[in-house]
Amino acid sequence: MTDNGTILSIQNLSTFFDTEQGTAKAVQNVSFDIKKGQTLALVGESGCGKSVTALSIMRLIPSPPGRIASGKIFFKSRDILEFSERQMRRIRGNKIAMIFQEPMTSLNPVYTIGSQIVEAISLHQKKSYQQAWQIAQEMLERVHIPDPDRRMVEYPHLLSGGMRQRVMIAMAISCRPSLLIADEPTTALDVTIQAQILDLLDELQKGENMSILLITHDLGVVAQRADNVTVMYASKIVEQCPCGELFNNPLHPYTKGLLNSLPQLGTRQNRLNTIAGNVPEPLNFPSGCKFHPRCPVGCNDKRCHTEEPALKQVSANHYAACWYAEK
Amino acid sequence: MKKLELKIDNKNWGTSYGQLVWQQLTKNRTNLVCLWFIIVLFTTAVFAPLIANDKPFVVRMASTGSPQVEGKVYFPLFGTLTANDYSVFLAAIIGVILLFLLRRNSRKVNPFLRSAVLWRQISVCTVILLLGIILLQFFIPRRLDATDYKAMLSSGKATDAIFPLVPYGYGRTDIKVCQRPPNRNHWLGTDDVGSDVLCRLIHGTRISLSVGFVAVGISGIVGIIFGAIMGYFGGKIDFLGMRLVEIMMSVPTFFLIITIVAFFPRSLFNIMVIIGITSWTDDARFIRAEFLKLRNQDFVQAAVSLGLPLRSILFRHMLPNGMAPVLVSVTFGVAGAIFIESALSFLGFGVAPPTPSWGQMLSTGVSTTGEFLWWLSFFPGLAIFFTVTAYNLLGEGLRDAIDPKLRKAV
Repeated sequence: MTDNGTILSIQNLSTFFDTEQGTAKAVQNVSFDIKKGQTLALVGESGCGKSVTALSIMRLIPSPPGRIASGKIFFKSRDILEFSERQMRRIRGNKIAMIFQEPMTSLNPVYTIGSQIVEAISLHQKKSYQQAWQIAQEMLERVHIPDPDRRMVEYPHLLSGGMRQRVMIAMAISCRPSLLIADEPTTALDVTIQAQILDLLDELQKGENMSILLITHDLGVVAQRADNVTVMYASKIVEQCPCGELFNNPLHPYTKGLLNSLPQLGTRQNRLNTIAGNVPEPLNFPSGCKFHPRCPVGCNDKRCHTEEPALKQVSANHYAACWYAEK
Repeated sequence: MKKLELKIDNKNWGTSYGQLVWQQLTKNRTNLVCLWFIIVLFTTAVFAPLIANDKPFVVRMASTGSPQVEGKVYFPLFGTLTANDYSVFLAAIIGVILLFLLRRNSRKVNPFLRSAVLWRQISVCTVILLLGIILLQFFIPRRLDATDYKAMLSSGKATDAIFPLVPYGYGRTDIKVCQRPPNRNHWLGTDDVGSDVLCRLIHGTRISLSVGFVAVGISGIVGIIFGAIMGYFGGKIDFLGMRLVEIMMSVPTFFLIITIVAFFPRSLFNIMVIIGITSWTDDARFIRAEFLKLRNQDFVQAAVSLGLPLRSILFRHMLPNGMAPVLVSVTFGVAGAIFIESALSFLGFGVAPPTPSWGQMLSTGVSTTGEFLWWLSFFPGLAIFFTVTAYNLLGEGLRDAIDPKLRKAV
């Protein structure tokens, strides 16, 4: 945490939602570090707590019903969970920026693109309108929007999804944040645009030496872009390792299952492999290892049914939470 | 105050949302007609004493009078105007200046500074207006001029006089011509004390319009702020707020108003305030519903994640998106306030006679002898009908213009 290379360090973060049916433990004991200029991919199925983790970092959990029950989030060695709302506002958009999943609805329909970016810039930087306008235009150029001069005065409904996501990225990076949280930035886009957007993020990251927390369920995306990978399942981290290691030597059965579900080049498959079953609901987690009802390895093991494995170090920087995880 | 740079530049900053709405609004002919009708109404209201007055603009005295007034020219109308009348003129002039400034701002000032510049202009204008009103109240004495200039003219005491279009005062009583149907002298007839209906109708415009505007202004502002806060925060605030709204709604508004009015002196101001503070519940509920829907929208989340302050999120990003239903309700509210005022006056709780209001005039349609004098009800009724219709149509037009989903690509 005092390590200079670490920009964000999350320690034992738990985020709960108090509902009428009980407490939904959406995120439990999640810890990870992001180093300066690196990309951490947070992977998992829908509903396993990825987005809630991201929103917790931004302190955007709707409260009530949500609350950050425990843990610490160190951003540049300062615990932002202790920040006041006012301090937090200075961080949001300025130091930590976020890109959302749905570019179609993430821009306000009643303002021009230019004025929305300018608002973000002038909020955090002391710039005159002319200067802010200039910066906004440069940002649009940097995200490769053709004819930025004209786009600045257009309304969001005139732009395609990919374009809007570019605008969102331009808005997010306009204040040169040190951490960019990209919450499934390419899910709503088609494959060619996806690649473009990811290339763009890569390019910007190199240019700005920015860290990225990339939330995705697309392992293809992970393989190309991430430095480290954290796999989440049912509110907890199940595996954590550098990107290459994950693909070469997955330890947790869930990760194996995910990798298995990918179509393989060169082999003939009629159906893609799947992991049977669904992510359990946060109100109703199974006992023991949360993955055991779907696990091909541990479904018959008594220990997997009753005892929950902790995240343990298997090799130098490879962690997994499984009783069967051995080198 | 932060010093504002007022650089004039002709760079293309794009069409602002307000300009877009205005363009959309004025594209439609019905809206234009309504807009013009309301402008005419406002002009009538402002210049009522210059349109309908029994004092002439100019009068020249004849030689038959005492030698010291012989041939002299007087301006009796301007002498009898009260400080209030002059204040209304001043307010109207400042209002028009503000509209021109608004137009100029949208062309010359960059959008970032626009609201700050506008606020400065508004505050300067308000200060000028208040100072002006105080000065006017101070310097313009209340003069009563009981001279009958028409009699002077006919008896030859005065040689020439130029009267306003409708040469009657609204408080005039003349038993000789009471309850006359429309004729050459009285275009819309006279009422049961002999006052000219057209004159009272023109003066009544002031009352009805100001009731509509001030009452709706109060209810709109209170409703929007309450609704926005309830809708955005939800939870306990929403719960408590909604219970308050429900309590307000469970009381029959009209009877509440009658009760309150009965306890306070009969003044126009009281009526406006009371209508305003009893009718904000609908606006609050509309805005709350819209905000409940909007606060989970991605662009609101995005605005929060950019670190925008709450005020900006609520009123800059959410309000324009959730304004449509409230605008309609507000224009209906103007109509409703005019109705309530009419009803109160009809029942005798409204403004005190001889101050004319449309509702009060309606109520004189049935005379004490039980006759139905149609012109006494028909013309004020028509005025209410047209005003209310114009507001409603304009509200609908505004809703269509403001709603980004209904708007075609520009």
